[in-house]
Amino acid sequence: MSKIKHFIEQSWLLIVASFAFGLLIAVADASLDARIKQNEKDKLNNMMKSLIADAKDFQLAIDQVQIEDATTTDVYKAVGKDGAGIGFAFVGAGGGFADKIKLVIAVDGRCEKFLGFKVLSSNETPGFGSKIAIDKPDSDVDFVDQFKGAPAGEVELIKTGRLDVIRKIDSQIVAISRATVSSEAVVRIFNTYTEEIKKQLQQKGLISDGG
Amino acid sequence: MADESQPTTALYKQTLLAGLWRENPVFRLLLGMCPTLAVTAAVKPAFTMGCCVIFVLVCSNIIVSLMRNLLKPHLRILMFTLTIATFVTIADLFLKAFVPRMSETLGPYVPLIIVNCIIICRAEACASKNPLLVSIIDALGMGAGFTLTLCVLASIRELLSTGMIFEVQVMPDAFVPWAAMSMPVGAFITLGLLLGLVNIISRSRS
Repeated sequence: MSKIKHFIEQSWLLIVASFAFGLLIAVADASLDARIKQNEKDKLNNMMKSLIADAKDFQLAIDQVQIEDATTTDVYKAVGKDGAGIGFAFVGAGGGFADKIKLVIAVDGRCEKFLGFKVLSSNETPGFGSKIAIDKPDSDVDFVDQFKGAPAGEVELIKTGRLDVIRKIDSQIVAISRATVSSEAVVRIFNTYTEEIKKQLQQKGLISDGG
Repeated sequence: MADESQPTTALYKQTLLAGLWRENPVFRLLLGMCPTLAVTAAVKPAFTMGCCVIFVLVCSNIIVSLMRNLLKPHLRILMFTLTIATFVTIADLFLKAFVPRMSETLGPYVPLIIVNCIIICRAEACASKNPLLVSIIDALGMGAGFTLTLCVLASIRELLSTGMIFEVQVMPDAFVPWAAMSMPVGAFITLGLLLGLVNIISRSRS
């Protein structure tokens, strides 16, 4: 009994403070959670909208597509002004040079070609790997632009910087100079997600088997 | 450090100004080096980090000062950490809700304020031994000193790495940006040079 009394005497402040601070955090979280979730949703919508500019709305096409063992992603269908599907967008993630890279990837309505990508979050080296997020850079390889119009299948990373190779619209993507790991990470995310999502879209009848 | 027996205006002024120069947390005490090096590539994130630290410092100093007579010596660090973690979590949620872009820019460095030595140092050295008003003034002084230091460091780095300050073009078009200044190497070089400058000024004064 004296041990319990000693324990309470020593730790009552800690116990009371833990409950009080826990309550404070719970109140703050409850009051800000809706706004935080809305911010995340707005950011994703803005990115999808910038990739598929003609889209009037984005509707959830497939919920929780299983990509790898524990990875899932939602696929959104871009709906045009006439109500027809004009493309699909999804979030892909994978390990980069410093941290996880999250991309929003867009494909056309028949899932035949990529419409481009935007970086949802990354922590790549400023001035080097960070170029994966820069569309139309002042200099160096326009890495982001190479994905626009490329066939929506497996893409291959190459390390030559010849302008004719960079400008050619095909499945070959020229890496960013001095940022090969970040470039490889982006290509890996494309290859990991696209095949599975294409298969799921075909199974759900959202695109034709041939397309 | 402030003495509880002398709550005078001069003492308040001395406590407030200590953080700006004499006991500046970055230049004199070399505390809080992680955010100092990590978020000073531009002035906006540096200023936001400074504001977060001021908020956490003031709130934690208030709580620690109010419960200073109830603290058990062997449990005090645990209580300080619990208090600091609470206010850091609230600051992090606030940034995510109202300035989401800045929250992304600062990344893990906002949650890492929990382990910022400045805050636990002020709780231990000041708030746990002084009345409420002195603790608040100490937090404001130290927080302002930390924010000012971060902004000075960030101004130099942003100017040299982009030609801008607060995203406003300052340098002429002919200026060639020094990319290295936005990278960790730029942070170490700028901090080292400023520490040297502060030491020279301190020695010449004394």
